Amino acid sequence: MIQYKKIELEQEFLVSEGHSLKKAGFIDESQFRLIDKNLTVLKSQKNILIRIGFFLLGSFLYSSICGFLTLISLDSMNENYQFLVYLFAIIGFVGTEVLTNQKYYGYGLDDAFLLGSQLCLAIAIGISSEGNELTISLILSITSLLCYLRYVQLSMAILFCVTLTCSILFLMFELGAFAKTMLPFTMMFFAIVIYFSSKKLFARLTLPFYCNGIIFTQAFALILFYLSGNYMVVRELSSELMGVIVTANNDIPFAIFFYGFTFIVPVSYLVLSLFKKDRFMLWIGILALCFSIYTIRFYYALLPVEIALTIGGLALFAFTFFAIKKIKNNINGVTFQPDRFSHGNLFGTAEILMATQLGLKPETTVESPMEFGNGDFSGGGSGGSY
Amino acid sequence: MSMKKFEEAATKSLLEKEFITPEQYDQVQAYRNLNLFSLHTELKLFLYASVLLFTSGIGILIYQNIDSIGHIAILALLFLITFFCFYFCFKNAIGFKKQQTQFENPIFDYLILAAVLLSCIFVGYLQFQYTVFGTHYGLATVVPTVIAFFCAYYFDNKSILSIAITGLAAYIGLSVSPQSLLHNDFNENNTLSYSAISLGISLVIWAIYSSNNDLKKHFSLVFLTFALHIISIACINNLFDSYWGIFIILLAGSCYYFYRTSYLIKSVSLFVFTLIYAYIGLNIFLFKLLEFSNIDSELFISFFFLVPFYFIGSIIYFIRLIKQFNKKASHDTI
Repeated sequence: MIQYKKIELEQEFLVSEGHSLKKAGFIDESQFRLIDKNLTVLKSQKNILIRIGFFLLGSFLYSSICGFLTLISLDSMNENYQFLVYLFAIIGFVGTEVLTNQKYYGYGLDDAFLLGSQLCLAIAIGISSEGNELTISLILSITSLLCYLRYVQLSMAILFCVTLTCSILFLMFELGAFAKTMLPFTMMFFAIVIYFSSKKLFARLTLPFYCNGIIFTQAFALILFYLSGNYMVVRELSSELMGVIVTANNDIPFAIFFYGFTFIVPVSYLVLSLFKKDRFMLWIGILALCFSIYTIRFYYALLPVEIALTIGGLALFAFTFFAIKKIKNNINGVTFQPDRFSHGNLFGTAEILMATQLGLKPETTVESPMEFGNGDFSGGGSGGSY
Repeated sequence: MSMKKFEEAATKSLLEKEFITPEQYDQVQAYRNLNLFSLHTELKLFLYASVLLFTSGIGILIYQNIDSIGHIAILALLFLITFFCFYFCFKNAIGFKKQQTQFENPIFDYLILAAVLLSCIFVGYLQFQYTVFGTHYGLATVVPTVIAFFCAYYFDNKSILSIAITGLAAYIGLSVSPQSLLHNDFNENNTLSYSAISLGISLVIWAIYSSNNDLKKHFSLVFLTFALHIISIACINNLFDSYWGIFIILLAGSCYYFYRTSYLIKSVSLFVFTLIYAYIGLNIFLFKLLEFSNIDSELFISFFFLVPFYFIGSIIYFIRLIKQFNKKASHDTI
């Protein structure tokens, strides 16, 4: 079933462990070079920029092959053009097989063919089934799961989670009005089921290379659980799907429950994550809390945006200041000491990049010489439209 | 749920394969048993976000209330906040050193960022309301730029350095934030391209001078990255102009220089972007050649046949280039 040999994938995991040991300063460069030289069999690309570059090149190659095929079959083509799209999908799968046979594993090229084939397959099924979303997402969830098990690529795990959720969603749409009313609760239940089943799966997992996919599935379940009860999502969907009209003294059904949910869930994520030392949950909690603030601001603008930003900034600064003061010197557990195993340099780069957004802008447009500092930043739960 | 059990097993396996020594293994185990959960990155990010929120809020607040609240009161308040930010930073700073320095507490890194952003707002407000610099709009850009450069060097802060460089670029009429770099009017305005390229070249010269004199060597990458993007995008934009011959030569020259430099300073991002710009330039050049050679449509089909092979060829060539680079530089993620 797996395209690569298990031992190769395990060695790949050992190399990445060696890399993080080197970054943490436990072993030196020459030791890591030795590990890398002896254990690396698969050709994979750790650098995200290079991987994206090869992904683009792979997409060019894939589309140029497809384009060439279209060009030569242009004359003989009639209304059966959908076979051509199926052919594109097959080319994608064949390309993936060829590349993975040559030991490419997450190099960018194989990603391009793998994702491209799934995309072509989705389009082809869409043409055959006249745009039936349920069929597309059901078939795609099966193919993406199979591809994940075979090629062990995180992108396929993501696609699997998304398509499976879409399948449930479209199934509920088909079932009628009552199912639509129950939609938030069904999705919550579904999220709980995937969370706990993936947790069980992880406990029994012995193959280290599958753990990324399972960890992602768990994170996905957390996000889905939050979104399925978020007030804004529920309200917008109920007006979209069932035509519920919200007036001043008439809110959506169970409104209080959803208001509570919108704030209790992120906070409990944050608290739980600190107890469980779960970084993914922490991040999801932070983002969810931001989205909750945005949700409330979207309907009830209690303060004008500039005051909200100023006060929010001050409050956040004060909170962080005291939090740092409190945990600064902890030598174990939750602490402000940098973790030797952390991957901090990505954020450093992102901060420098963000700063260019805030920088000065040229003065050629004389009528508005006021774009100092207050660039078009829109984050932290505030609307981006000012 | 964490990867911990797999990571520990992997370390053990490295020990069994004799890639790491038992002492190293013990050190790793002891460190893992501390069970650290570091919020270092998260809290620093919060500080950054709070600075951004606050300065954006203040910025909007001031320009929206220009006629309603007393100008002097606002100016005084802004001045006070800025002054206090600067005061605390100077008090806690180590002072200027040619090498890399760091505040003892990272909070000050963000406080100084806030101070610089607020002084940008302050100067901008002075100019907008009182036209302190008269019609010398350039001066209103130069003053914050000078402040930013000073703070970047004095407090050793790369974020502020990049603000300073955007200020420098703004002075010559160029917007260099990532999403607007592509929207500069290079085509309409030939002088803009020339000044962009000269700015890029001066940044490179400054980077060379700094590393020769051991002056904040770690800033080089920031200067070089700005220079690479400014020069390459200005050149590529002009490839569609009538004078494209000069720009293709300039682009080739700069790509060659940055290719060599990326090896010297072992920077993957510089290397990758140089390759990307070189490849874009090459493709435009080939396209121009095709256009000039005026082939008929019969032959055109065979060109489509060649396209996949062209891509396969370039993929193979890129793989070789990157392998060569990886031999010299390390496995970095960015």
